[in-house]
Amino acid sequence: MATNLRGRYAIVGVGNSPLGKVPEMSSLDLFVMAAKRAIDDAGISKDEIDGLITRGPDDVNVHHQRVGQLLGLNVDFSTSTDNGGASQILNVAMACMAIDAGMCTTVLCGYGRDAWSRTHRNETARMRVATTDPSLARQEFGPEFGLFGAPANYALAARRHMQLFGTTKEQLGSIAIAFREHAARNPEAFVRDPLTMDDYLSARLIVDPLSFYDCSIFADAAGAVIVTSLERARSLRQPPAHILGFGFGNNLRGWHHDENMVDTGARRAGETAYRMAGVSPGDIDAAQIYDCFTHMVLLQLEDYGFCEKGEGGPFAASGALTLEGRLPTNTSGGQLSEAHAEGMLQVVEGVRQVRHDYGPDRQVRDAELVLVTGHGGATVCQSALVLGRDR
Amino acid sequence: MADYAKPVPAPSTSTRFFWEGCRAHQLVLQRCSSCDAFRFPPSVICPECLSTDWEVAPLSGRGTVHTFGVYHRLYHKAFEPELPYVVGIIELEEGPRLLSNVVGCRPEDVYCGMSVRVVFEDITDEATLYKFEPDSPP
Repeated sequence: MATNLRGRYAIVGVGNSPLGKVPEMSSLDLFVMAAKRAIDDAGISKDEIDGLITRGPDDVNVHHQRVGQLLGLNVDFSTSTDNGGASQILNVAMACMAIDAGMCTTVLCGYGRDAWSRTHRNETARMRVATTDPSLARQEFGPEFGLFGAPANYALAARRHMQLFGTTKEQLGSIAIAFREHAARNPEAFVRDPLTMDDYLSARLIVDPLSFYDCSIFADAAGAVIVTSLERARSLRQPPAHILGFGFGNNLRGWHHDENMVDTGARRAGETAYRMAGVSPGDIDAAQIYDCFTHMVLLQLEDYGFCEKGEGGPFAASGALTLEGRLPTNTSGGQLSEAHAEGMLQVVEGVRQVRHDYGPDRQVRDAELVLVTGHGGATVCQSALVLGRDR
Repeated sequence: MADYAKPVPAPSTSTRFFWEGCRAHQLVLQRCSSCDAFRFPPSVICPECLSTDWEVAPLSGRGTVHTFGVYHRLYHKAFEPELPYVVGIIELEEGPRLLSNVVGCRPEDVYCGMSVRVVFEDITDEATLYKFEPDSPP
């Protein structure tokens, strides 16, 4: 019989780097800056950290060995994971499991990348974006047919959902607009300009049915959190964000297999996380949902049980996702407006919401339970985290 | 054909039979000798029953559009004359799904469930691509 880790571990410190255009910083610079802020937020010394889990593994990302070197850390337990944007919650969960197994006591988790600078720093970088990495010319079953860029697989999924359920562009637009409204309240968000439905609908097509405002934005961004036992958390500076549940679902047979691009692994991730936490979707007060594209939010609203399969469009368009709605979602602006750090900033925002860090313009009133989700790894990996307020 | 500027498929050990089939204008995939399942992507093992016995078997070349996207943004200069172009997932009659282009019609005429059939395009002296066009009514 597995041990239920519900409520035994907590996030005790969070931090983010400067967000948006930060050309003077590398991915590693961004991440260690976020880590320093998380350490300061927790009120601990860096030498108390004996575990380190980051999203890796290539040189684009923040490999644990380089991070440890730059932060001056020798630790007992460290690694970098490779589940794409599902890695961040996986890392928090692995931190809990490693502590529970006696491998370490205090774990730094996070991710950062210089995605804006990497793609816009100079003309060479801009051309690379415009014409795609030439190494793709050596692959098969994709680039020879003109399959390039992240939007394509999501466009395929959005089209399928539209075909099966009559989902509309306006419904997708309501997601982008709600998150932009949240970003406008967040002084650190990268993109805060007002967005209207006319702007949304008249934007240029990228891969139809997805257009410009359906896509998350390249940003320089990093986030970090500190995980430790609830017992230890009690003596620290911040109210602990209780880790009540986590779960995962990985449809490794692929996005194109069965109806995997309609029924995602998020359903299993959510069922596991809710069961561990002893809650149901109706108990969740706010959500931070992985929004690489608008359509991915819609799918997850369904798969995490906030509405029936096929009803994500009407649910989003009802205003449910706004700060005053039934399920305030991506309350810092999400990856569509705040900044894309493969879901790490959404873990940070989930903690801030259950700590009630904000004034009334940004705080979800009476937020007790927040769902945070991750998604990635060539579209098939899903992760879910239920955070609870300290009482 | 010498100046073909788009990416050319680079067959691996496990996919060479597939591209050789295309070269001969024949769509082929592996069929499991144990459970008869066709499979894609190519592999030494059947993902249904883990049998390692298989044969290369011809396909009808007919299928339907499972879903598709229409590229409006340019990602690769050689595709500029093609914009807007359709990238779709084709569900073959035999079961497997292949990513390909839908050609021979306007992008706005493509729909999920549309019947299509394979066409071959010799792009270099060594390489041939499989694409799909609307299947004319019988």
